[in-house]
Amino acid sequence: MAAPETGREPVVSMRDIVKIYPDGTVALRGVNLDIYPGEVLGLLGENGAGKTTLMKILAGFLKPTSGYILLRGRRVVWHSAAEALRHGIGMVHQHLSLVPVFTAYENIILGLPSRMLAGARQRIEKLMEETGLEVPLDEVVELLSFGEQQRVEILRMLFRNVDVLILDEPTTNLTPNETETLFNAIRKLKQQGKSIVFITHKLREVLEITDRIVVMRRGRVVGELPRAMADPRLLARMMVGREVLMRVEKPPAKPGEVVLRVENLWVKRDIGTWGVRGVSFEIRAGEIFGIAGVEGNGQAELVEAITGLRRVERGKIYFLGRDVTNLGPAELYRMGMAHVPEDRRSTGLIMDMNVVENSILGLHRWERFLRNKWGMLNWAAAEEHAKELVKKYEIAAPGLYSPVKYLSGGNQQKLLLGREISKNPKLIVAAQPTRGLDVAATEYVRRMLVALRNQGHAVLLVSSDTDEVMQLSDRIAVMYRGRFVVVTRPEEVTEEKLGLYMGGIEQA
Amino acid sequence: MTVTAGNSLLERLRRDPRMHEAVLRFGESIIALVIGLTIGAVILWVSGYSPGEAYYYLFQSSLLDTYGLTSTLSFATPVLLTGLTFAIGARAGLFNIGAEGQLYMGALGATLLAWLAMHVPLLDSPLGTLVGLLLGAALGAGLALIAAMLRVYRGVHEVVSTIMLNWIAYWLVYYLQSQKLYWPKDPTKSIPVPPGARLPLLLPGTELSASFLIAIGFTVFTYYLLWHMVHGYELRASGLSPRAARYAGIDPNRSIMLAFVLGGVAAGLAGAGEVMGRPPHYAITSGLSNLVNMGFDGITVALIGANHPLGMIPAAIFIGALNAGSRAMQAFAGVPLEMVRIVEGVIIIALAVPGILHMIEEYLRRKRELREIAAKEAEASQAG
Repeated sequence: MAAPETGREPVVSMRDIVKIYPDGTVALRGVNLDIYPGEVLGLLGENGAGKTTLMKILAGFLKPTSGYILLRGRRVVWHSAAEALRHGIGMVHQHLSLVPVFTAYENIILGLPSRMLAGARQRIEKLMEETGLEVPLDEVVELLSFGEQQRVEILRMLFRNVDVLILDEPTTNLTPNETETLFNAIRKLKQQGKSIVFITHKLREVLEITDRIVVMRRGRVVGELPRAMADPRLLARMMVGREVLMRVEKPPAKPGEVVLRVENLWVKRDIGTWGVRGVSFEIRAGEIFGIAGVEGNGQAELVEAITGLRRVERGKIYFLGRDVTNLGPAELYRMGMAHVPEDRRSTGLIMDMNVVENSILGLHRWERFLRNKWGMLNWAAAEEHAKELVKKYEIAAPGLYSPVKYLSGGNQQKLLLGREISKNPKLIVAAQPTRGLDVAATEYVRRMLVALRNQGHAVLLVSSDTDEVMQLSDRIAVMYRGRFVVVTRPEEVTEEKLGLYMGGIEQA
Repeated sequence: MTVTAGNSLLERLRRDPRMHEAVLRFGESIIALVIGLTIGAVILWVSGYSPGEAYYYLFQSSLLDTYGLTSTLSFATPVLLTGLTFAIGARAGLFNIGAEGQLYMGALGATLLAWLAMHVPLLDSPLGTLVGLLLGAALGAGLALIAAMLRVYRGVHEVVSTIMLNWIAYWLVYYLQSQKLYWPKDPTKSIPVPPGARLPLLLPGTELSASFLIAIGFTVFTYYLLWHMVHGYELRASGLSPRAARYAGIDPNRSIMLAFVLGGVAAGLAGAGEVMGRPPHYAITSGLSNLVNMGFDGITVALIGANHPLGMIPAAIFIGALNAGSRAMQAFAGVPLEMVRIVEGVIIIALAVPGILHMIEEYLRRKRELREIAAKEAEASQAG
């Protein structure tokens, strides 16, 4: 362990932390972490690496499945986030938790007993002066900018005198100036002996502000080093890493005719801002087009627009030569599109429906599953179909009529993938197809995608797992802030370089 | 998974886990009934009544003689239909408690027929029956449609809209009954449905009319729709996961519309059936006293029947029996009618118990499983 100053005791130690979510997703696989007083610790990793989960455990928002926390050498168990906060550990989430119609001042003192409020205003003003985190105290929070709201939340923590302040992706929605203010405040807090944990996937920031960097990948700490020894290339490599998975055999691509063409596509996010900002590309039959990038850079919106689930504001989508811009999913499926959505549990499958019912989801109006034009379902045909999928894709299920929630994640994904392939599609859009799967299932799915490509299907693969994109794709695009920063071939780029593109450090 | 030989229907049913599930749910409901009746007995006993005597009259008079049985079934009829209103809504992910108001509107439809028949003698016939039922179904569906559109286009939650619409329907129908459509010979009632247009009694001298057959028919239809037709499949998919439904090319809003309208038809038929088939009034009585609570009792039926149309048939008969038998219980055992309501309440609470036990069991099982995986992961991480 590279402690910043030997002999200093960590303020917090986390030991052997394992976290498995109730749905079976393994988020942390045995993590040890020390936080020292007066340091800024950068917690770096891709989405899903477990950074946020680890810190939520420290701040009492989640309970670890196993493992424990030492606070100044004493073992503690949090029953709530409030308890952790009372002991000096506070977390500012990516999505702020303020009362929008209260003023900044009211939000800061919210929940404190009245005996602690004597001279509160003066103390807050002093805090603002000391840290440079200025906010109009009497303004209603919903009228403040995001940066100001964030300061309110930080002041809220500081007013409670936290020793460990956790900031989860604090710069995501900040302007450069606001970022600078925040960084200055962090430096001042450090001088006061506070520990700050800075969660991020942005290499540049972690190098600018932190003293020590811990890199996480797939639920583990994979590296730890002082900032002085870090450089972007090294960090990118650590973050992306190499998996122990077997390489998938891939014969050279034989691209055929253009299956999907996207022209200058503009798509909005739920909140109304632009998610996709002018993306163009083509996919041919028999090739895998991979889109890499840190999540939240517009990939989800792009996938939803292509699959008919989200409105296209500007630009065109051509599928098999036909303009399909803003066509619904049902028509697209009929034309030969298949979609393996990012979230199989809430989108791709219906957990409380059984295997047979799920095996026809999206195909349920196809002629082969209907008995007549009145819409009577042909359950015999559906059962036959489900049976075929179970056999062909070796799906382990308690029974054809068991709800799919009783299947493991891997088997759920096989069912989903099998169903989509049964559409005999011209194009398969696969978003994060191996997320949360174990090694065997991951390999199975990857092989399947390559097999489909070899059979002449076009595949659009979207994944935040860089290694996966590198291994499977014939062509790669990196998405950053709604745009493709580069379109290249896997043999023409290194993972390191890809990591730099993803972090917005390099542009092609 | 291997499929063994033996494809007889019985064999298939035996292997089908859905059957096991159904048997299990049925068993749970029976246990809940027993618990409810037991606690009810204790309450009766504590209150100074004889539980044995009370229950004897309750069930003897409602199930064991012909008149009582027909009375039970005629009480079961409207609550089976209004139960469907709730159950179809629940399957589509709604909490539709608007059956009460939709039932009033259905009764209004039948009363409009009675009024029309005064002017058009042709309607004093089976044609009139048909017109009355259609009017009732249309008005019930119409009221439901308001809630549906508020939900789909304006995002108004159906609990809020249906509660309000229930009151609007109540006062609207009350007003029309007392001010416009009253019967001059007895202004405490609306114009009665003429004899030729009434739903025929299944057994002369009883209260059981053809509306019972309508209810059963509608129940079977609903079952078939939900589990054997593509519209029902889409409706259930929308209810279980609107996101997944959209992904599958289903418009969840269409399912919501369908559920509301179908539920409105069911409740409307219930109301029309009460007016057109229930002796002695064949009319709406003052204060809607021959209709109130039939919509809400449907929710009880839906809960006991686990929102499954076929399970709701015995549930409705049970609730019907409590209603029919409570008269005899009062007359011969001196137990007030309200006691029956207490028993009903206890049964509903008891019904929730197995669900809670399942949740606890599932939670503990899950926790144990996670511990085991966690131990393995930690071991692996130390080894690595």
